[in-house]
Amino acid sequence: MRFLLLFLFSVSVAAAPVKTPQAEAELVAETTALVPGEPTTVALRLKAIPGWHTYWRNPGDSGEPTRIEWQLPAGFAAGDIEWPVPERIAVGPLMNFGYHGEVLLLTRVVAPRDVDLKPVVLKARAHWLVCEVQCIPESADLSVTLPVARTAAADPAWAPTIAATRARIPAAAPAGWRFDAREEEGGATLAITVPQGVALKDAFFLPFAEGKIEPAAQQTLTRKGSDYRLSLRAAAQPVGPLSSLDGILVHQDRAFQVNAPLSARFADLGLAVALAFAFAGGLLLNLMPCVLPVLSIKVLGFAQGHARLRDAWLYVAGVLVSFWLLAGLLVGLRALGQQLGWGFQLQSPIAVAVLAAFFLLLALNLSGVFELRLSMAGGSSGHFLSGVLAVVVASPCTAPFMGAALGYAVLESGWRAFAVFTALGLGMALPYAVLASAPAARRWLPRPGPWMPRLKQWLAVPLYATVLWLGWVLVQQVGSPAALHDDAWQPWSEQRIVELSGAGRPVFVDFTAAWCVTCQVNERVVLGRADMKDAFRQRNVALLRADWTKRDPKIARALAALGRSGVPVYVVYRPGQAPVVLPEILTRERVLAALDG
Amino acid sequence: MKSLVLALSFALAAPAAWAAKVGQAAPDFTAPDVQGKPVKLSEQRGKFVVLEWTNPECPYVRRHYDSGNMQSLQKEMGGKDVVWLTVNSTREGHGEFKSPQEMAKWMSQQGAAPKATLIDKDSKVGKMYDARTTPHMYVIDPQGKLIYAGAIDDKRWASTEQTKTAKNHVRAALGEAMAGKPVSVAATSPYGCTVKY
Repeated sequence: MRFLLLFLFSVSVAAAPVKTPQAEAELVAETTALVPGEPTTVALRLKAIPGWHTYWRNPGDSGEPTRIEWQLPAGFAAGDIEWPVPERIAVGPLMNFGYHGEVLLLTRVVAPRDVDLKPVVLKARAHWLVCEVQCIPESADLSVTLPVARTAAADPAWAPTIAATRARIPAAAPAGWRFDAREEEGGATLAITVPQGVALKDAFFLPFAEGKIEPAAQQTLTRKGSDYRLSLRAAAQPVGPLSSLDGILVHQDRAFQVNAPLSARFADLGLAVALAFAFAGGLLLNLMPCVLPVLSIKVLGFAQGHARLRDAWLYVAGVLVSFWLLAGLLVGLRALGQQLGWGFQLQSPIAVAVLAAFFLLLALNLSGVFELRLSMAGGSSGHFLSGVLAVVVASPCTAPFMGAALGYAVLESGWRAFAVFTALGLGMALPYAVLASAPAARRWLPRPGPWMPRLKQWLAVPLYATVLWLGWVLVQQVGSPAALHDDAWQPWSEQRIVELSGAGRPVFVDFTAAWCVTCQVNERVVLGRADMKDAFRQRNVALLRADWTKRDPKIARALAALGRSGVPVYVVYRPGQAPVVLPEILTRERVLAALDG
Repeated sequence: MKSLVLALSFALAAPAAWAAKVGQAAPDFTAPDVQGKPVKLSEQRGKFVVLEWTNPECPYVRRHYDSGNMQSLQKEMGGKDVVWLTVNSTREGHGEFKSPQEMAKWMSQQGAAPKATLIDKDSKVGKMYDARTTPHMYVIDPQGKLIYAGAIDDKRWASTEQTKTAKNHVRAALGEAMAGKPVSVAATSPYGCTVKY
């Protein structure tokens, strides 16, 4: 008798479908057994009677998404529902997203590693709304019984249907596809880059979130060069700011996931302002601690020589060529789909190590340990190489104004990006170029004398500090970044912001990185101070830190959504209000003004 | 000239584009109540007004009436001198359309207590407010500004019992506005059945 029972249980048993007058529902599995530690797909098969429909994860103007509440044995885990592409169902002037007839909603279920090789019952309560003109909310307790075995085969009864459903689940876009979003008056534009030879026709976007994009609004697809633009209208009654286009792009029988942060600020900034910011940022770069010592020495070094216009041009050329190379690299890598921003060059431990070694050489050189002939070369190649050197030493630094300008450049790409990097280079090159070429300007320089070697030795100090700092960055990257965290701060995630704002708490987000000097200064001078911490505590502010020391596409996307491509970025979220981005150079007053204002 | 441009853009825009918007003046309308008496929104100026879209055929509406949730909110707000207008925008000719008599009977069976129940048989008011679901709730302040639009509460999935413990967005919005505070949750996604346009 016991044998007979065992035999019976070793066959996968789907309980009979639950039937209502409008629908039937059951759980079905892709495999004949569960394998310890491995996932299998379990589907909720939901079939509405002809003319009736159930809903997608975003039901559109009305309706309700189907839900599955799993009641699994201990140690078992179920993922989120994987939804196949829905239909657009027009209801008068309104629009719903859902499925007529039969749909399979897939869930991956993982059995624990140490599960006994005995049959297991996977139970779930499913809730759905089934509508034609009338709507009926329904729910059912469902279960499927599966044996647990070392190996499992595809269940011929359901594996083909589940595989067919899986082919209708939007995947990440393959190579050659790219989605960019831009805020427009009254909505957004989704820019779609397609692989060569692909022509879009009747493509449309379905948003995951409700209350952001108008479900029934016509979406206009236009061709622009080899790319396409899909215009989307914002919800008539938006439930929050539209910060990114998350959803799916449906094109004929394919659909791809879209996750495109909206570049809003950049539309506000405009090319002219971005160029001005870049130029100012470039000028200020000369004053940054990584650049100032090196350039001071060079300027003082040629104080006694002849002023020549040619030298100035060579220096400018050296700076520009270096910036263009960096820009080309950044734009090129982004075109390949990498989520990178300014500072990307410091997210690689190798680059940091090389830079640290380089700064050490420079510092030793200034200390007089040896003469670095290259940087002291007086000929024409010397001025060009000085320009290259200036960019190399500037690369770990960000100056005020640079963040917004580079954010614009990185998101815009193309010739505008190069224009911004050019303005940055020109701004940076200007002081040196003037001093190199204009005799009048040199009168301001002190006469060379015995004080120079001593000054050099003093100027070596910030360079040694830079070496130490890069070493610390390297440790953060290679080891655990625990040093950046203290108890008051929680790790950042978009989800966390939503949760905390939902609970009515103000949120302060610190986008930072170990390699970002400005970030460290703000941390020491403002954020880390006791009075600031008290002020945060009094206002019950939740503190989130996004640490970009290492590459992180999520953080890169969030920065892009704010119109930035580098750190520091400080954002204050207050419930029910638009987020406020603070300036790169923080003061306590500015933080408080954003929290209280 | 300006009004001409406005009129033109109104004529060209899709219905949703000129709908009522939170933070702006609530569009004025006149609609008959179940006794045929016209009710004009602008005549309620000086008082808070709640607009409740309803349809007795909708299970979500029934959930809020079966639980007593809607009636008790209507009574509570009536006691605070809030003008509560229940609107049925089901198009005349639609299978779920209710005549004024049927609507009056259903409301009294439910023990509902709005100031008036409006029959919007050409769906004019519904489209003006871009009402999408039943229930879909709107709150208008005494100056005639729309201060809340969206769901009645934060429990879309609730059972009839759980409806009582949900956070009611209408009560919260009115409470804040009456205390002179800004409405912290001013727009949410409405849930329920489609308005039968």
